[in-house]
Amino acid sequence: MQNFDWLLFGLVLFVTTAGVLTIFSATRPLEGMHHPTFYIKQMVWAGIGLAAMLLAIKVDYRQFGRFAGVFYGAGLLLLVFVLAKGRMGMGAQRWISLGGISFQPSEIFRLAFIIMLARHLSLVKPPLGIREFLKMAPLLALLPLALLVKQPDLGTATTMGMVFLLMCIGRGMSKRLITALLVFGIVSAPFFWDIFWQGFLKDYQRNRIVAFLDPNVDPSGIGYHINQSKIAIGSGMTLGKGYLKGTQGPFRFLPENHTDFIFSVFAEEWGFVGCLVLLAAYLAILLRALDTARHAKDDFGSLLALGIAFMFATYFFCNIGMTMGMMPVVGIPLPFMSYGGTAVLSNFIAVGLLINIRMRRFELFY
Amino acid sequence: MNRGLLLATVIVFGFFVVLARLAGLMLLDHAELSAKASSQYLRERQIEVRRGQIYDRHGRELAVSLDVNSLYCYRGEVVSPRTVALEVSKATGMKYADLIGKIAGPGGRRFIWLKRKLTGSESKTLMALRSQKGVGFTDEIERYYPGGALASQVLGYLNIDNKAMAGLEKQYNSTLMNKGGKVVVESDATGKVLSEGVQMESRGDNIVLTIDEGLQYITETALDEAMKKWDARSASVIMMNPYTGAILAMANRPTFNPNDPGGSSAGALKDRAIMDLYEPGSVFKIVVSTAALESGAVTPQTLFNCHGGVLTVDGRTFHDVEHNGVLPFEQIIQKSSNVGAIQVALKIGPDKWYQYARRLGLGQKTGIDLPWEAAGYVNYPRTEVSLASNAIGYGVSVTPLQLLRAYSAIANGGYLVVPHVVSRITAPDGQVISRFHDRAKRVLEPGTTAIFKRILSLVTQDGGTAAQAAVAGNTVSGKTGTARLFDPRTGRYSDKYASTFVGFVPASDPKIAMIVVFKGSKGAIYGGTVAGPVFSEIAEKAFAYLNVPRDDAARNNMVYLGRSRHEVVYTP
Repeated sequence: MQNFDWLLFGLVLFVTTAGVLTIFSATRPLEGMHHPTFYIKQMVWAGIGLAAMLLAIKVDYRQFGRFAGVFYGAGLLLLVFVLAKGRMGMGAQRWISLGGISFQPSEIFRLAFIIMLARHLSLVKPPLGIREFLKMAPLLALLPLALLVKQPDLGTATTMGMVFLLMCIGRGMSKRLITALLVFGIVSAPFFWDIFWQGFLKDYQRNRIVAFLDPNVDPSGIGYHINQSKIAIGSGMTLGKGYLKGTQGPFRFLPENHTDFIFSVFAEEWGFVGCLVLLAAYLAILLRALDTARHAKDDFGSLLALGIAFMFATYFFCNIGMTMGMMPVVGIPLPFMSYGGTAVLSNFIAVGLLINIRMRRFELFY
Repeated sequence: MNRGLLLATVIVFGFFVVLARLAGLMLLDHAELSAKASSQYLRERQIEVRRGQIYDRHGRELAVSLDVNSLYCYRGEVVSPRTVALEVSKATGMKYADLIGKIAGPGGRRFIWLKRKLTGSESKTLMALRSQKGVGFTDEIERYYPGGALASQVLGYLNIDNKAMAGLEKQYNSTLMNKGGKVVVESDATGKVLSEGVQMESRGDNIVLTIDEGLQYITETALDEAMKKWDARSASVIMMNPYTGAILAMANRPTFNPNDPGGSSAGALKDRAIMDLYEPGSVFKIVVSTAALESGAVTPQTLFNCHGGVLTVDGRTFHDVEHNGVLPFEQIIQKSSNVGAIQVALKIGPDKWYQYARRLGLGQKTGIDLPWEAAGYVNYPRTEVSLASNAIGYGVSVTPLQLLRAYSAIANGGYLVVPHVVSRITAPDGQVISRFHDRAKRVLEPGTTAIFKRILSLVTQDGGTAAQAAVAGNTVSGKTGTARLFDPRTGRYSDKYASTFVGFVPASDPKIAMIVVFKGSKGAIYGGTVAGPVFSEIAEKAFAYLNVPRDDAARNNMVYLGRSRHEVVYTP
């Protein structure tokens, strides 16, 4: 524990605490009704996450690399399983119930996905050529993304797709591959868009995109989320309304206020100044992750840290962008703050891996 | 590692984009967004208020609020419009065709009233409709005036939506609806009200009037009889306590029933006693008399040559009804000689005259607590002709209430009172919240009023213009006035007259001051003939009602009731 990354750990703990407090505020009832126990559950999950994190630190991260294939295979099986037996929720089949606890396999899968990708890329000699890319793409990208889209969990699919591309870029791509990808992207975009729009998207997903393009189309209909979120954020002003003084959350104008739109609730109560502090913490986490990647002693560790940094970054930007009306509404939680047990667990394990990589950067191979 | 630095830069850049957007939302657009926020969680709710009651001076109910049922339906949800229409038509007498058109006809709003404010029997019969889909009852509060048309213009009325439209209902609306109106409540997205401790039902405060239902009834009845007799276009009577300005009765003709104000004409809704301006004629001689007496320009015995009843002032000729010769001042008033009064006015001059007109509050609002009181005008007479006509009550514009107040100043020894209708405001539990505070101010010397009071009592005696205003056993002090009515349509005086009698009784210790005005009466025109008898009749009955002993009771060994006269009349 000599080189334990107390800074990263402290930052994550800070953001997690802010998350629990905001969940408490967002779900608080009025007039003596029962206070939903989301905030307690979140604390329990954070505890479980901490334990898992310590486990993930204890084991040398290279062990994860060694068993990457096993994890990945198990992750894919979970995705198939959730499609076959999963529980429906909000129009999507994302949950599996295990002994009374339901969890989202896609949240676990994304870890296995990143480990697998890091492992695979670390074995490929950079820069990445077209041939290597085409070899890895079907199994390491297309299959899992298709399974995710089928749930449908468009948010995870999109972010994982982005992480895949970013990690490839991070490993380094040949000029020919870059050119080929650009040309392919431009040529196939309309075709894929059509299939995507007509075949894959459900009505509510199409509506979200329309609403993103113009939130005022129907304020109480499809643009509702975005408008309500912007209203909540905007009414925070400089110093915010104060903790437990926000109105948007408890008055339930903002749906999903303790999960995907937790940032809006936070912003209303803590204002611009509070947001500055929070964003600084997130920025520090991301930069620390990049720094870990830079100082990792091997390619696998570096790529793994990079993948985790990309994952946090895409989640963060997609979520914040969504709450501020800069991106379409996709169900992406804000790492460490949004309510959601499986997400908390997998994020803490990811942090554990980062600490692990950083801690062992001076250790010799043996 | 170059690539790492690039990534870090990209991420930091991303944060700046986020920050910029955040600053835009939170610091620049916040006003608009905050407004949107409050507009959606703050909602105005109407509080159902039970309007306060209106009581007369003895606590008798003049206006009460009742619970009534109203029948409504949601168009399109009614399964059998025919049954509903038939039932409603049978119970209420509304036309079946109209009803079926309302319920099943094309277009229109979803929610409609079938019949609002059902009567007890209607609502009983229609209870059977309860089981019908799309039809429902709702409680509404209806204002009910037990006295019907009694004091209707004073009380005012409410429209079908319980909005105060006139009279005390309007003037004291905020008192009667106290704690009512709207509250702003916080509510969530589903419209559920979340604020705690907000009272959604409340009672307004009550008002207690100075009006006495008994005296009002006596007045209204006498007015009805006189209207039958004279077939006048309109009439007003005000009865007031001359010492306090407390209005005891106020009635007008034509009148209306506030329980059903719908079909009434605008003229019937009008409180003429305070809203109708007119040229009062000879009753206005109070100004010239008090001015002349108080300045010492005349004594009751000062003689004036009335030139056989004809006087030309600056080319304009004025006439008396009688061909008077040389008269002392007191007889000029008693016989209402215009020629004499004009000479007195010319003697004191326009300044004195105008000063006293202002002092007596003529041409000014009295400040009575009723809406839309008219001020009228009394202008400074710039020429001798206008002084002459103003002195005998032409070229000025006043309300009956202004005149009554001026004559009350004679009755009470020189004080100009503030007429008022409401004596106190009480909470729903009966506790007094506020009372009327007397703000009378002295405008005449007691010596002046004593002399003029005696002169006014000559008017109702032999040789006076209003012998018919006399009250058996009591001395009445008063003055008649007869003036041609100006017709605003033709721009000239018509052949209709305003007949006025204003005075107080008993002269020695006035209990009531009263003015009676008839306009456009047929068969007779003189104030003494038309208005005088009404004054007399109301005063006599009022004294019986109030147990006021006759002035001559002691002299004639009549029964003395053993109570102070003050107590008898004026305890609330």
